[in-house]
Amino acid sequence: MPSVFYRFTMLFLFMAVGAVSVVLVKPSEGILGLGIAAGAFIWLIWDNWCSLQFILWVHRIEDEPDAPPPWLDNIRQETAEYIQRTLRRQSHRTKEFENQLYDFQSVLQASPNSVIILNAQDCIEWCNRTASIHFGLDAKRDLAQRITHLLRSPALIKKLAERDFAEPFVVESPLATDTHPMRLEVLFLPHGQGRLFMLSRDITAIEQAEAMRRNFVAEVSHEIRTPLTVLAGFIETLQTLSPSEEERGSILMRMAHQAERMKNLVNDLLTLSRLENNAQLRLDEWIPVASMLERLGIDARSLSTHLNGQAAPKHEIIFEGADTPDEIAGIKTELQSAFSNLVNNAIRYTPPGGKIIVTWQMNAEGGARFSVRDNGIGIAPEHIPRLMERFYRVDLNRSNASSGTGLGLAIVRHVLQRHDAKLEIDSTLSHGACFSVTFPAERVR
Amino acid sequence: MIEKHLSSQFDSDLNDVCSRLMEMGGLVETQIQRTISALAEFSVDEFNNVVDTETRIDQMEVEIDRMLTAVVARRQPAARDLRLLLAISKITTNLERAGDEACKIGMRVKSLVESGKTRQMPIGDLRVASNLAASLIQRSLNAFARLDVPAAISIYKEDDLIDREFKGFTRKLITYMMENPHIISSCLDLLFIAKAIERIGDHAKNITEFIIYIVHGTDVRHSKLEGIEAIVVH
Repeated sequence: MPSVFYRFTMLFLFMAVGAVSVVLVKPSEGILGLGIAAGAFIWLIWDNWCSLQFILWVHRIEDEPDAPPPWLDNIRQETAEYIQRTLRRQSHRTKEFENQLYDFQSVLQASPNSVIILNAQDCIEWCNRTASIHFGLDAKRDLAQRITHLLRSPALIKKLAERDFAEPFVVESPLATDTHPMRLEVLFLPHGQGRLFMLSRDITAIEQAEAMRRNFVAEVSHEIRTPLTVLAGFIETLQTLSPSEEERGSILMRMAHQAERMKNLVNDLLTLSRLENNAQLRLDEWIPVASMLERLGIDARSLSTHLNGQAAPKHEIIFEGADTPDEIAGIKTELQSAFSNLVNNAIRYTPPGGKIIVTWQMNAEGGARFSVRDNGIGIAPEHIPRLMERFYRVDLNRSNASSGTGLGLAIVRHVLQRHDAKLEIDSTLSHGACFSVTFPAERVR
Repeated sequence: MIEKHLSSQFDSDLNDVCSRLMEMGGLVETQIQRTISALAEFSVDEFNNVVDTETRIDQMEVEIDRMLTAVVARRQPAARDLRLLLAISKITTNLERAGDEACKIGMRVKSLVESGKTRQMPIGDLRVASNLAASLIQRSLNAFARLDVPAAISIYKEDDLIDREFKGFTRKLITYMMENPHIISSCLDLLFIAKAIERIGDHAKNITEFIIYIVHGTDVRHSKLEGIEAIVVH
């Protein structure tokens, strides 16, 4: 407030100085008024000069906020200081907001879900990097583009047109291909005046896992039902017909066979679930290999006799290789079951009279290699990658004849994973197969 | 994709037509995807859906043309806006035809499945070409939305790949038919499918020509690739 009076004071001061100086220089009639007018005129020029400086400074301050105000009269000085203070406070606040916005954006950027912000016309205002992975959107180029111009899935367009945002829905990613399917769950969250927040989540893996689980249940049920059907059939025969003693014996034997098959299946399932549930494995138990191989030989020969009967030519089963390394670190029952699964497979898929060679030897890196080679029917290359899947059968017609459970190699895979071992399969159709397991150096001694 | 006009109503009219076109494009894309997977798996489960979508696409073509007439009559557009509207009209026609071709594939697959001779058919080669055709349509629509001329030209070049695949496949079919005359009718079905795939690729290529027309104002139909690149550079 005092600065307002200051201006008037200055005006009067100039007028007074003008009047006095004129009167002093040449006192005459009417000169007083002229002096006052001259003083006022000089003051006007000075005041305008101050205004000019002030305006120039105001223009300058945008670029250099710290520029000091030029020497001015009191009222402008005060205004200048006020402007500078406000500007400083505001730029400080803007910076804070910017930092906050940047933080928010980097949080959204880091999200594994894609985040797309749409305005009321469904145009893209902002999207994160995941949006380009999910939908192929370009965070720079596609701004202000209507989302439906780039994501043209009819389901998505329909939801947007009907403004039906209650439920999330699933769309195929435009980037999905045969080899890399991508299914996305999309959710729209409306906020403030028709604007939308669009989220999408990659559910390909979840859907695949779900499909695998469904398949697994279906397959287990199927595998269990087959022997059960046979058993039920025999039971019905025994109840309704009265078979002779000899027939009864044969029927009971076949029933026992089916019961055995079911027991094996359930045992294998239990083994698998046990293997999957505890992944930890200690290194401290050392198992002698020699006794394991001996046991393997006995089991293999009895299986060969069991499958082919006493009369048929038996498989020739040969154990080769060195005595060292003579111990493996791991769990005996698991390794025994993995090895015997490999040998049993060789026997099952090699016709009678065939040759099976089991080798145990040290390799160049100090580890050990266990391999089973046969000259049986072999495996076509397209089946090899899928052999380890549960219930995967190369030839559906063989599943009954060879009476395997279809879980053998799945068990082998799990056991070997737990023992840090690697399995390699090498085979040509009708020329036999070789399954070899390599143990790392720290697991053998 | 549209620059601001004085009349915001005009902007919104243009945007609406574009959105309609893209919606139709989305339907055609799904249509192609569906028939491709029907072809890969020899299934006819989706056949009724394909026929329904085909009718929907036809309706949309008529609807978009009506919208275009209204915009032209009311706004009397000039320069780039006029080119955009003309191009949309042409692209609609191309999309509708691509949809027709997809529908044809669906019908041929149905007749193949019904013939029961699907096992002996050399379908692996078709899968590559059909995926390529689907991606060309998808990318040409993306290029249209972004008015992206470099992308348009790369699509233009890739169409040759499909044409080459088609020629190779025809030769292969001839050997199949010579070896086993019993499967000639199925082989003819496959030949028509291959032709339809090749046509879908051509329609994608046509769409890219209109993108160049909108952006550069030059009609590049029936001109050589070098000519097109020269226009785009200047």
